Amino acid sequence: MHVHELNPKKSIITLSIFFIIIVVGFITLKTPWLTYKQVPEQTLRMISEKGNCLYPYELASFVAGTDDNIMLIDIRDKFTYSRGHIPGAINISAYDLTRKEEIKQLKEFKDKGVSVVLYGDNQLQANGPWMLFRQIGYDNVKVLAGGYDYYKMHKDNLADTESDDSYFKGTADFDYAKVAGSTVSTSTTTSTDTKKPVKVRRKKKKAAASGGC
Amino acid sequence: MNKNYIILTALMIVLAGGLLVVPERQKYQQIGPDELLWEIIQPTRYVSTDKVAQLIIEGDPSLELVDVRPTADYEKFSLPKSINIPLDSLLQESYQDYLGIDGMKVLFFSNDDIKADQAWVLAKRLGYDNIYVMKGGLNCWIRTIIQPKKPSTDSPSTEFALYDFRKGAQMYFTGAKTETSEKSSNKKAVKIQRKKKKTAASGGC
Repeated sequence: MHVHELNPKKSIITLSIFFIIIVVGFITLKTPWLTYKQVPEQTLRMISEKGNCLYPYELASFVAGTDDNIMLIDIRDKFTYSRGHIPGAINISAYDLTRKEEIKQLKEFKDKGVSVVLYGDNQLQANGPWMLFRQIGYDNVKVLAGGYDYYKMHKDNLADTESDDSYFKGTADFDYAKVAGSTVSTSTTTSTDTKKPVKVRRKKKKAAASGGC
Repeated sequence: MNKNYIILTALMIVLAGGLLVVPERQKYQQIGPDELLWEIIQPTRYVSTDKVAQLIIEGDPSLELVDVRPTADYEKFSLPKSINIPLDSLLQESYQDYLGIDGMKVLFFSNDDIKADQAWVLAKRLGYDNIYVMKGGLNCWIRTIIQPKKPSTDSPSTEFALYDFRKGAQMYFTGAKTETSEKSSNKKAVKIQRKKKKTAASGGC
């Protein structure tokens, strides 16, 4: 005969202790402060969708102060922000983006249905933070096409930039194959050409070149 | 029968059912959002086209160039010795072996730098190290390496040093084409290059 059968009260106590331990375990289960809401596959699909960018011409009404559906966040540092920013934009440096207060603020915007638009000097600067927010579930976050640099150049004629496409990213500016000549497939056939460059290589080994766009 | 055991069994079944509700374990090992943001705000992942050209010319064996443009574009033109992982198939199982190789520097590039940067963010989330982005992408590559612009005469000497480097790189990457058209200037470029062994050149598109 089992002990439990002899003493029903005892088994109820055991059972409830067992239950409490499990419940406590679930409650204290460490949930990280920020979690991904998108799996990488979703993110991958998301970045090729339309509507991730806010275009400069859409800024006109925001700058005029008549658009409550957009909130601009300048992710550059305080100093750069103080030297010039889009009117009405608030400054949250990229370093501080995942602080609790900022996330809370972001959540308020999301609940109110306000689109949050991130911008840096160029689109690239805001690209990473934008992708991060999308991944942690803030679908209302967008990125400003062209960034501050483009805005600065066109701030007096924002409405006219609708037909301009120079801020579109991801397109080829050249017919590479034509401009650059050699291609991957011909790399084997141009073996005679590559003899010449070998010379150049030796001489420049120590020249460190840097710089960029 | 024994009532207690039945209750206990029922409880266990309910709890086991609870496991279904617990979010599915990710199939990837990944870094947390906080850490990812930290990585994102570091500008160290950007490599200039000049640096890339230098690495290719030197034949750096640890450099792995990854073209994230669609395959059709890759087949028309790409950087020498690059491999093609189209951005939309970046997460495919078969490509993962190309990313996590010890001691290899993976450099993403695309038409400009946005797509490459997006590939970088995704790969970073999955915990890959030693990954980089070519700043300016192929557009910048053409502007700086294939069609370098001569600096104005009042530019600092570093500008000229950079121009000379680019001219040499242009010859390397375009082959005999420029050699025939600009024989005299080629010679000059080679000479000047000797002088600048120690100078660090900078500039951009």
